[in-house]
Amino acid sequence: MSEPTIVRFWGTRGILPVAATAQSVRDKIANALVVARGQGIASYEDAIRFIDSELDFAAAATYGGATSCVEVECGDEAFYICDMGSGLQELGREALRLVRRDRAGKFNFFLSHLHWDHIMGFPHFAPAFDDDCEIVIHACHADAEDALRRQQEEMSYPVPFDSWAARIRFVTMTPGEEIVVDGLRVTAMLQDHPHASYGYRFVDPAGRRIVYSTDSEHRIDNMEREDAFTFFFRDADLVICDTMYSLAATNSTREDWGHSSNLVAIDLCRQAGAKRLALFHHDPLLNDEEIQRMHEDSLRYEKLTRAGAPLEVLCAYDGLEVAL
Amino acid sequence: MDVSYAAVGEALVVAPVGRVDEASWEEFGRHLASGIEQAEQQSLPTLVIDLSSVDYMSSRGLRALTMAKQEGIGAGVSIRLAAPNDVMREILAISRYDRLFAVDPTAPGNGA
Repeated sequence: MSEPTIVRFWGTRGILPVAATAQSVRDKIANALVVARGQGIASYEDAIRFIDSELDFAAAATYGGATSCVEVECGDEAFYICDMGSGLQELGREALRLVRRDRAGKFNFFLSHLHWDHIMGFPHFAPAFDDDCEIVIHACHADAEDALRRQQEEMSYPVPFDSWAARIRFVTMTPGEEIVVDGLRVTAMLQDHPHASYGYRFVDPAGRRIVYSTDSEHRIDNMEREDAFTFFFRDADLVICDTMYSLAATNSTREDWGHSSNLVAIDLCRQAGAKRLALFHHDPLLNDEEIQRMHEDSLRYEKLTRAGAPLEVLCAYDGLEVAL
Repeated sequence: MDVSYAAVGEALVVAPVGRVDEASWEEFGRHLASGIEQAEQQSLPTLVIDLSSVDYMSSRGLRALTMAKQEGIGAGVSIRLAAPNDVMREILAISRYDRLFAVDPTAPGNGA
């Protein structure tokens, strides 16, 4: 039996990092204390049991506010990381701790695209300061290096790109052509987004399939192309999907913004025979309660329209780990 | 997919029956386009889509509604949804399509 592959979410917001305010934390604590009245909570363990049994996710936790960054942990030979959003800072600190305990310091990145929220974490990536580390940045955009250098020009950031101690190189991938990266099979797919974006399909040595498909618009006048996505998502153990807006918004006020909805993601995953969907790239304007409601709506839609095997619908949050 | 058309007052009422999903959304869309054409030819300003017999509608069916709405604007025909059953009412709320379309509790000729 092989070790599980673990998908770890370090950043799940779209567009802009957000943070819980002091007031929102106070509100959660106050509401929890009201619900806990008379429960006889005398220890930390009692409190955890109460939280797990009596409070819903939004009441007891937060979906977080770091922008897109997802790690696929598959063996110890290398790190595999989708996108460099602000969640990368925390990943980098944790990874460097592991590297200093003898884990291989090789980092394979896969960039969906070059918009700011997907690359802003790289200047804060601690392993880049370490000359024992190697960083390989895979992208389908030929201008990926330009984008990363540009955000570290003096007018934007104090530390220039060329000052990194780590060995850094770029690999330009071709959509549809599978490559093998330190044992992980990877294929990219072109998606509809301003300046283009690319989804990635990963297959680990045990045959587990993970799809990362963010910042991808599915247009009403091009629904035939969704068959290509169904094929790309086929039989996936986990599909991570951009579900930033409601279906109505994606074809009205948010049309051409390059994003998708929970309903389209569910339908694509179901057609593809996928096992799990992670709702991802949450709207920064939504608070925890609103994201939780979107998750509940998604679960309900999946149930209402289910015709065969159920699709497990998760709602990604910063810190979520999914073992496959 | 069974679909009936009927002129009721100032509206043409289109009433599809069954599921609108990945297998039937294109046919559903053609029926809506036909309804818009018929309404335009009969100088009826409104196309009402009677949802009372729709089992469920997937995202492709919902997006076919949006395409019909856009076609209707070009033809001078406004689109209204009517008589959603419990499932369809939920799907319209979840998708936020109840904010995109006018939704009437009943269809013309059925107690409206």
